[in-house]
Amino acid sequence: MRSHIREFDSSTLNESVQNTIMRDLKAVGKKFMHVLYPRKSNTLLRDWDLWGPLILCVTLALMLQRSSIDSEKDGGPQFAEVFVIVWFGAVTITLNSKLLGGNISFFQSLCVLGYCILPLTVAMLVCRLVLLAEPGPINFMVRLFVVIVMFAWSIVASTAFLADSQPPNRKALAIYPVFLFYFVISWMILTFTPQ
Amino acid sequence: MLQQDSNDDTEDVSLFDAEEETTNRPKKSKIRHPVASFFHLFFRVSAIVVYLLCELFSSSFIACMVTIILLLSCDFWAVKNVTGRLMVGLRWWNHIDEDGKSHWVFESRKASAQESKTVSEAESRIFWLGLIACPVLWVIFAFSALFSFRVKWLAVVIMGVVLQGANLYGYIRCKVGSRKNLTNMATSYLGKQFLKQNTGDEQTS
Repeated sequence: MRSHIREFDSSTLNESVQNTIMRDLKAVGKKFMHVLYPRKSNTLLRDWDLWGPLILCVTLALMLQRSSIDSEKDGGPQFAEVFVIVWFGAVTITLNSKLLGGNISFFQSLCVLGYCILPLTVAMLVCRLVLLAEPGPINFMVRLFVVIVMFAWSIVASTAFLADSQPPNRKALAIYPVFLFYFVISWMILTFTPQ
Repeated sequence: MLQQDSNDDTEDVSLFDAEEETTNRPKKSKIRHPVASFFHLFFRVSAIVVYLLCELFSSSFIACMVTIILLLSCDFWAVKNVTGRLMVGLRWWNHIDEDGKSHWVFESRKASAQESKTVSEAESRIFWLGLIACPVLWVIFAFSALFSFRVKWLAVVIMGVVLQGANLYGYIRCKVGSRKNLTNMATSYLGKQFLKQNTGDEQTS
Protein backbone atom coordinates (compact mmCIF):
# COMPACT_ATOMS: atom_id res chain seq x y z
CA MET A 1 0.00 0.00 0.00
CA ARG A 2 2.76 2.45 0.92
CA SER A 3 4.76 1.73 -2.22
CA HIS A 4 1.69 2.22 -4.37
CA ILE A 5 1.17 5.66 -2.90
CA ARG A 6 4.81 6.57 -3.35
CA GLU A 7 4.69 5.72 -7.04
CA PHE A 8 1.65 7.90 -7.43
CA ASP A 9 3.54 10.70 -5.62
CA SER A 10 6.55 10.81 -7.86
CA SER A 11 4.54 10.69 -11.04
CA THR A 12 2.30 13.61 -10.15
CA LEU A 13 5.14 15.79 -8.89
CA ASN A 14 6.65 15.92 -12.35
CA GLU A 15 3.70 15.76 -14.69
CA SER A 16 2.96 18.49 -17.19
CA VAL A 17 0.42 21.22 -16.52
CA GLN A 18 -1.85 19.96 -19.26
CA ASN A 19 -1.99 16.53 -17.63
CA THR A 20 -2.99 18.09 -14.35
CA ILE A 21 -5.76 20.12 -15.93
CA MET A 22 -7.14 17.17 -17.91
CA ARG A 23 -6.99 14.89 -14.89
CA ASP A 24 -8.97 17.32 -12.74
CA LEU A 25 -11.49 18.10 -15.46
CA LYS A 26 -12.11 14.41 -16.06
CA ALA A 27 -12.60 13.82 -12.34
CA VAL A 28 -15.19 16.60 -12.16
CA GLY A 29 -16.98 15.32 -15.25
CA LYS A 30 -17.06 11.76 -13.91
CA LYS A 31 -18.70 12.95 -10.72
CA PHE A 32 -21.37 14.86 -12.61
CA MET A 33 -22.16 11.64 -14.49
CA HIS A 34 -22.40 9.76 -11.22
CA VAL A 35 -24.94 12.22 -9.91
CA LEU A 36 -27.04 11.93 -13.05
CA TYR A 37 -27.03 8.11 -12.86
CA PRO A 38 -26.72 7.38 -9.16
CA ARG A 39 -25.33 4.01 -8.18
CA LYS A 40 -23.63 2.95 -5.01
CA SER A 41 -19.98 3.51 -5.70
CA ASN A 42 -17.22 3.82 -3.16
CA THR A 43 -14.56 4.84 -5.65
CA LEU A 44 -16.38 8.08 -6.40
CA LEU A 45 -16.23 9.25 -2.82
CA ARG A 46 -12.50 8.62 -2.55
CA ASP A 47 -11.23 11.45 -4.68
CA TRP A 48 -13.38 14.33 -3.62
CA ASP A 49 -13.15 17.81 -5.03
CA LEU A 50 -15.12 20.96 -4.45
CA TRP A 51 -14.98 22.41 -7.98
CA GLY A 52 -18.35 20.98 -8.96
CA PRO A 53 -20.13 22.39 -5.91
CA LEU A 54 -18.52 25.78 -6.51
CA ILE A 55 -19.63 25.91 -10.15
CA LEU A 56 -23.13 24.74 -9.27
CA CYS A 57 -23.45 27.18 -6.40
CA VAL A 58 -22.34 30.15 -8.52
CA THR A 59 -24.68 29.12 -11.37
CA LEU A 60 -27.62 28.69 -9.00
CA ALA A 61 -26.94 32.02 -7.30
CA LEU A 62 -26.67 33.80 -10.65
CA MET A 63 -29.96 32.32 -11.84
CA LEU A 64 -31.75 33.23 -8.62
CA GLN A 65 -31.21 36.94 -9.22
CA ARG A 66 -34.15 39.23 -9.42
CA SER A 67 -33.72 41.83 -12.14
CA SER A 68 -34.22 45.12 -10.40
CA ILE A 69 -34.89 48.47 -12.03
CA ASP A 70 -32.73 50.21 -9.50
CA SER A 71 -29.22 49.24 -10.54
CA GLU A 72 -27.64 50.25 -7.27
CA LYS A 73 -29.30 47.59 -5.18
CA ASP A 74 -28.80 44.87 -7.73
CA GLY A 75 -29.53 41.57 -6.08
CA GLY A 76 -26.28 41.60 -4.17
CA PRO A 77 -27.60 40.33 -0.87
CA GLN A 78 -29.53 37.51 -2.55
CA PHE A 79 -26.41 36.26 -4.29
CA ALA A 80 -24.50 36.11 -1.03
CA GLU A 81 -27.60 34.61 0.61
CA VAL A 82 -27.64 31.61 -1.73
CA PHE A 83 -23.95 31.08 -1.18
CA VAL A 84 -24.31 31.20 2.57
CA ILE A 85 -27.32 28.87 2.60
CA VAL A 86 -25.64 26.27 0.42
CA TRP A 87 -22.27 26.21 2.13
CA PHE A 88 -23.45 26.73 5.68
CA GLY A 89 -26.15 24.10 5.18
CA ALA A 90 -23.67 21.60 3.77
CA VAL A 91 -21.25 22.20 6.65
CA THR A 92 -24.04 21.75 9.20
CA ILE A 93 -25.18 18.47 7.66
CA THR A 94 -21.61 17.22 7.62
CA LEU A 95 -21.11 18.10 11.28
CA ASN A 96 -24.38 16.40 12.11
CA SER A 97 -23.42 13.21 10.35
CA LYS A 98 -19.99 13.18 11.98
CA LEU A 99 -21.53 13.70 15.42
CA LEU A 100 -23.84 10.78 14.76
CA GLY A 101 -20.79 8.59 14.30
CA GLY A 102 -20.56 8.44 10.54
CA ASN A 103 -17.22 7.45 9.08
CA ILE A 104 -17.13 9.82 6.17
CA SER A 105 -14.63 12.63 6.07
CA PHE A 106 -15.62 16.29 6.21
CA PHE A 107 -14.69 17.16 2.65
CA GLN A 108 -16.16 13.99 1.17
CA SER A 109 -19.53 14.86 2.61
CA LEU A 110 -19.32 18.45 1.36
CA CYS A 111 -18.39 17.07 -2.05
CA VAL A 112 -21.39 14.72 -2.25
CA LEU A 113 -23.87 17.31 -1.02
CA GLY A 114 -22.53 19.91 -3.41
CA TYR A 115 -22.55 17.68 -6.46
CA CYS A 116 -26.11 16.51 -5.73
CA ILE A 117 -27.34 20.07 -6.20
CA LEU A 118 -26.99 19.41 -9.95
CA PRO A 119 -30.60 18.22 -10.47
CA LEU A 120 -31.92 21.28 -8.65
CA THR A 121 -29.76 23.55 -10.79
CA VAL A 122 -31.29 21.93 -13.87
CA ALA A 123 -34.72 22.51 -12.31
CA MET A 124 -33.84 26.19 -11.85
CA LEU A 125 -32.87 26.45 -15.50
CA VAL A 126 -36.12 24.84 -16.60
CA CYS A 127 -38.14 27.10 -14.27
CA ARG A 128 -36.51 30.20 -15.66
CA LEU A 129 -37.37 29.10 -19.19
CA VAL A 130 -40.95 28.26 -18.20
CA LEU A 131 -41.31 31.68 -16.53
CA LEU A 132 -40.67 33.33 -19.90
CA ALA A 133 -44.12 32.08 -20.95
CA GLU A 134 -47.29 33.69 -19.61
CA PRO A 135 -47.96 33.31 -15.89
CA GLY A 136 -50.88 31.23 -14.68
CA PRO A 137 -51.80 28.06 -12.82
CA ILE A 138 -50.49 25.79 -15.60
CA ASN A 139 -47.15 27.59 -15.43
CA PHE A 140 -47.06 26.96 -11.71
CA MET A 141 -48.05 23.29 -12.03
CA VAL A 142 -45.28 22.64 -14.55
CA ARG A 143 -42.69 24.27 -12.33
CA LEU A 144 -43.98 22.42 -9.28
CA PHE A 145 -43.74 19.10 -11.08
CA VAL A 146 -40.21 19.76 -12.34
CA VAL A 147 -39.00 20.91 -8.92
CA ILE A 148 -40.51 17.90 -7.16
CA VAL A 149 -38.93 15.45 -9.60
CA MET A 150 -35.51 17.07 -9.33
CA PHE A 151 -35.79 17.28 -5.55
CA ALA A 152 -36.47 13.55 -5.39
CA TRP A 153 -33.53 12.92 -7.75
CA SER A 154 -31.20 14.94 -5.52
CA ILE A 155 -32.29 13.04 -2.44
CA VAL A 156 -31.88 9.66 -4.13
CA ALA A 157 -28.43 10.60 -5.45
CA SER A 158 -27.14 11.87 -2.13
CA THR A 159 -28.52 9.00 -0.07
CA ALA A 160 -26.95 6.53 -2.49
CA PHE A 161 -23.57 7.91 -1.44
CA LEU A 162 -24.11 8.99 2.12
CA ALA A 163 -26.32 6.29 3.61
CA ASP A 164 -23.59 3.66 3.70
CA SER A 165 -21.38 5.73 5.93
CA GLN A 166 -23.85 5.70 8.80
CA PRO A 167 -24.54 2.90 11.28
CA PRO A 168 -27.88 1.27 10.35
CA ASN A 169 -29.95 2.54 13.26
CA ARG A 170 -28.92 6.13 12.61
CA LYS A 171 -29.61 6.34 8.91
CA ALA A 172 -32.87 8.26 9.22
CA LEU A 173 -31.34 10.73 11.67
CA ALA A 174 -28.52 11.42 9.26
CA ILE A 175 -30.69 11.65 6.14
CA TYR A 176 -33.41 14.00 7.34
CA PRO A 177 -31.16 17.12 7.43
CA VAL A 178 -30.23 16.36 3.82
CA PHE A 179 -33.95 16.29 3.07
CA LEU A 180 -34.38 19.69 4.77
CA PHE A 181 -31.39 21.15 2.94
CA TYR A 182 -32.65 20.25 -0.51
CA PHE A 183 -36.16 21.25 0.50
CA VAL A 184 -34.99 24.78 1.34
CA ILE A 185 -33.19 25.05 -1.99
CA SER A 186 -36.22 23.69 -3.87
CA TRP A 187 -38.41 26.20 -2.06
CA MET A 188 -36.15 29.05 -3.14
CA ILE A 189 -36.36 27.79 -6.71
CA LEU A 190 -40.12 27.32 -6.70
CA THR A 191 -40.94 30.68 -5.16
CA PHE A 192 -38.61 32.57 -7.48
CA THR A 193 -40.20 35.31 -9.57
CA PRO A 194 -38.15 37.54 -11.87
CA GLN A 195 -39.75 40.78 -10.70
CA MET B 1 4.62 10.73 3.54
CA LEU B 2 7.79 12.31 2.26
CA GLN B 3 10.00 10.79 -0.34
CA GLN B 4 12.92 10.84 2.08
CA ASP B 5 11.08 8.11 4.04
CA SER B 6 11.78 5.52 1.37
CA ASN B 7 15.54 5.27 1.90
CA ASP B 8 15.62 5.54 5.66
CA ASP B 9 18.37 3.09 6.47
CA THR B 10 20.61 3.19 3.46
CA GLU B 11 20.88 6.92 2.94
CA ASP B 12 21.64 8.23 6.40
CA VAL B 13 25.18 9.09 5.44
CA SER B 14 24.56 10.21 1.87
CA LEU B 15 21.84 12.62 3.01
CA PHE B 16 24.42 14.58 5.00
CA ASP B 17 26.61 14.71 1.91
CA ALA B 18 23.72 15.99 -0.13
CA GLU B 19 23.17 18.73 2.42
CA GLU B 20 26.78 19.85 2.10
CA GLU B 21 26.45 19.87 -1.67
CA THR B 22 23.52 22.28 -1.57
CA THR B 23 25.45 24.78 0.54
CA ASN B 24 28.48 24.63 -1.75
CA ARG B 25 26.50 24.95 -4.97
CA PRO B 26 26.23 28.52 -6.29
CA LYS B 27 22.81 30.05 -5.64
CA LYS B 28 20.62 29.97 -8.69
CA SER B 29 19.09 33.30 -9.39
CA LYS B 30 17.48 32.92 -12.77
CA ILE B 31 13.80 32.23 -13.16
CA ARG B 32 13.26 28.88 -14.75
CA HIS B 33 9.49 28.98 -15.09
CA PRO B 34 8.52 32.54 -16.01
CA VAL B 35 4.96 31.62 -17.01
CA ALA B 36 4.32 29.81 -13.72
CA SER B 37 5.82 32.68 -11.72
CA PHE B 38 3.69 35.18 -13.61
CA PHE B 39 0.49 33.25 -13.02
CA HIS B 40 1.34 32.60 -9.39
CA LEU B 41 1.26 36.32 -8.73
CA PHE B 42 -1.26 37.32 -11.39
CA PHE B 43 -4.37 35.62 -9.97
CA ARG B 44 -3.68 36.65 -6.39
CA VAL B 45 -2.84 40.24 -7.12
CA SER B 46 -5.72 40.73 -9.55
CA ALA B 47 -8.20 39.31 -7.02
CA ILE B 48 -7.00 41.90 -4.51
CA VAL B 49 -7.00 44.68 -7.10
CA VAL B 50 -10.55 43.85 -8.25
CA TYR B 51 -11.71 43.80 -4.65
CA LEU B 52 -10.23 47.22 -3.95
CA LEU B 53 -11.29 48.88 -7.19
CA CYS B 54 -14.67 47.28 -7.87
CA GLU B 55 -16.62 50.25 -6.59
CA LEU B 56 -14.93 52.45 -9.18
CA PHE B 57 -15.14 50.20 -12.22
CA SER B 58 -18.52 48.57 -12.07
CA SER B 59 -21.74 49.37 -10.26
CA SER B 60 -22.70 45.71 -10.28
CA PHE B 61 -21.83 43.98 -7.04
CA ILE B 62 -22.54 40.58 -8.52
CA ALA B 63 -20.13 40.97 -11.43
CA CYS B 64 -17.36 41.93 -9.01
CA MET B 65 -18.18 39.09 -6.65
CA VAL B 66 -18.24 36.48 -9.40
CA THR B 67 -14.97 37.81 -10.86
CA ILE B 68 -13.25 37.70 -7.49
CA ILE B 69 -14.57 34.19 -6.81
CA LEU B 70 -13.34 32.96 -10.18
CA LEU B 71 -9.92 34.55 -9.67
CA LEU B 72 -9.61 33.09 -6.18
CA SER B 73 -10.52 29.61 -7.42
CA CYS B 74 -8.09 29.77 -10.34
CA ASP B 75 -5.42 31.01 -7.99
CA PHE B 76 -6.07 28.19 -5.53
CA TRP B 77 -5.89 25.53 -8.20
CA ALA B 78 -2.83 27.03 -9.89
CA VAL B 79 -0.84 27.46 -6.70
CA LYS B 80 -1.76 24.08 -5.30
CA ASN B 81 -1.27 22.01 -8.43
CA VAL B 82 1.15 23.83 -10.68
CA THR B 83 3.27 26.64 -9.28
CA GLY B 84 4.18 24.88 -6.04
CA ARG B 85 5.41 21.87 -7.98
CA LEU B 86 7.34 23.84 -10.57
CA MET B 87 8.76 26.64 -8.47
CA VAL B 88 9.69 25.01 -5.17
CA GLY B 89 9.11 21.30 -5.68
CA LEU B 90 6.50 20.96 -2.95
CA ARG B 91 3.04 19.47 -3.14
CA TRP B 92 0.24 18.62 -0.73
CA TRP B 93 -3.06 16.84 -1.14
CA ASN B 94 -5.62 14.66 0.56
CA HIS B 95 -5.71 10.95 0.00
CA ILE B 96 -8.47 8.63 1.11
CA ASP B 97 -7.50 5.00 1.48
CA GLU B 98 -9.65 1.90 1.19
CA ASP B 99 -10.86 2.08 4.78
CA GLY B 100 -12.34 5.50 4.18
CA LYS B 101 -9.80 7.29 6.34
CA SER B 102 -8.41 10.49 4.98
CA HIS B 103 -4.70 11.25 5.02
CA TRP B 104 -3.12 14.58 4.23
CA VAL B 105 0.00 14.02 2.18
CA PHE B 106 2.77 16.61 2.21
CA GLU B 107 5.43 15.95 -0.35
CA SER B 108 8.70 17.60 -1.19
CA ARG B 109 11.12 16.85 -3.96
CA LYS B 110 14.40 15.29 -2.83
CA ALA B 111 17.48 17.46 -3.37
CA SER B 112 19.01 15.84 -6.44
CA ALA B 113 22.07 16.58 -8.45
CA GLN B 114 20.10 17.14 -11.66
CA GLU B 115 20.32 20.70 -12.99
CA SER B 116 16.74 20.91 -14.14
CA LYS B 117 15.22 19.85 -10.83
CA THR B 118 16.87 22.23 -8.39
CA VAL B 119 15.05 25.13 -6.87
CA SER B 120 16.15 28.58 -7.96
CA GLU B 121 16.48 31.34 -5.35
CA ALA B 122 14.54 33.96 -7.27
CA GLU B 123 11.59 31.66 -7.92
CA SER B 124 11.57 30.52 -4.31
CA ARG B 125 11.54 34.12 -3.12
CA ILE B 126 8.70 35.07 -5.49
CA PHE B 127 6.73 32.00 -4.46
CA TRP B 128 6.95 32.53 -0.72
CA LEU B 129 6.43 36.28 -0.97
CA GLY B 130 3.22 35.84 -2.94
CA LEU B 131 2.10 32.98 -0.73
CA ILE B 132 2.48 34.87 2.55
CA ALA B 133 1.59 38.46 1.64
CA CYS B 134 -1.81 37.84 0.08
CA PRO B 135 -3.57 35.91 2.87
CA VAL B 136 -2.35 38.56 5.31
CA LEU B 137 -3.98 41.21 3.12
CA TRP B 138 -7.22 39.24 2.97
CA VAL B 139 -7.30 38.96 6.75
CA ILE B 140 -6.88 42.72 6.97
CA PHE B 141 -9.73 43.13 4.48
CA ALA B 142 -11.87 40.79 6.60
CA PHE B 143 -11.42 42.95 9.68
CA SER B 144 -12.05 46.12 7.74
CA ALA B 145 -15.24 44.72 6.18
CA LEU B 146 -16.43 43.57 9.59
CA PHE B 147 -15.77 46.83 11.36
CA SER B 148 -17.00 49.12 8.62
CA PHE B 149 -20.19 47.06 8.36
CA ARG B 150 -19.81 46.27 4.65
CA VAL B 151 -21.09 42.83 5.46
CA LYS B 152 -22.09 41.85 1.94
CA TRP B 153 -18.41 41.63 1.06
CA LEU B 154 -17.71 39.39 4.00
CA ALA B 155 -18.59 36.20 2.12
CA VAL B 156 -16.03 36.90 -0.60
CA VAL B 157 -13.36 38.02 1.83
CA ILE B 158 -13.81 34.94 4.01
CA MET B 159 -13.52 32.78 0.91
CA GLY B 160 -10.26 34.58 0.07
CA VAL B 161 -8.89 34.02 3.56
CA VAL B 162 -9.85 30.34 3.59
CA LEU B 163 -8.52 29.44 0.13
CA GLN B 164 -5.27 31.33 0.36
CA GLY B 165 -4.78 30.41 3.98
CA ALA B 166 -5.21 26.74 3.08
CA ASN B 167 -2.46 26.94 0.48
CA LEU B 168 -0.20 28.78 2.89
CA TYR B 169 -0.75 26.19 5.61
CA GLY B 170 -0.26 23.28 3.22
CA TYR B 171 3.02 24.57 1.84
CA ILE B 172 4.38 25.53 5.24
CA ARG B 173 3.70 21.99 6.39
CA CYS B 174 5.47 20.62 3.32
CA LYS B 175 8.48 22.81 4.03
CA VAL B 176 8.59 22.28 7.80
CA GLY B 177 7.87 18.60 7.36
CA SER B 178 10.87 18.05 5.14
CA ARG B 179 13.26 19.91 7.45
CA LYS B 180 11.84 18.22 10.53
CA ASN B 181 12.33 14.91 8.85
CA LEU B 182 16.04 15.62 8.38
CA THR B 183 16.54 16.55 12.01
CA ASN B 184 14.41 13.58 13.09
CA MET B 185 16.56 11.25 11.06
CA ALA B 186 19.73 12.79 12.49
CA THR B 187 18.52 12.50 16.07
CA SER B 188 17.21 8.96 15.56
CA TYR B 189 20.53 7.93 14.00
CA LEU B 190 22.47 9.41 16.91
CA GLY B 191 19.97 7.96 19.35
CA LYS B 192 20.40 4.49 17.90
CA GLN B 193 24.18 4.76 18.19
CA PHE B 194 23.86 5.95 21.77
CA LEU B 195 21.53 3.06 22.66
CA LYS B 196 23.80 0.54 20.96
CA GLN B 197 26.74 1.73 23.00
CA ASN B 198 24.76 1.67 26.23
CA THR B 199 23.27 -1.81 25.72
CA GLY B 200 26.71 -3.02 24.66
CA ASP B 201 28.09 -1.72 27.98
CA GLU B 202 25.26 -3.30 29.94
CA GLN B 203 25.83 -6.68 28.34
CA THR B 204 29.49 -6.71 29.08
CA SER B 205 29.08 -5.47 32.69
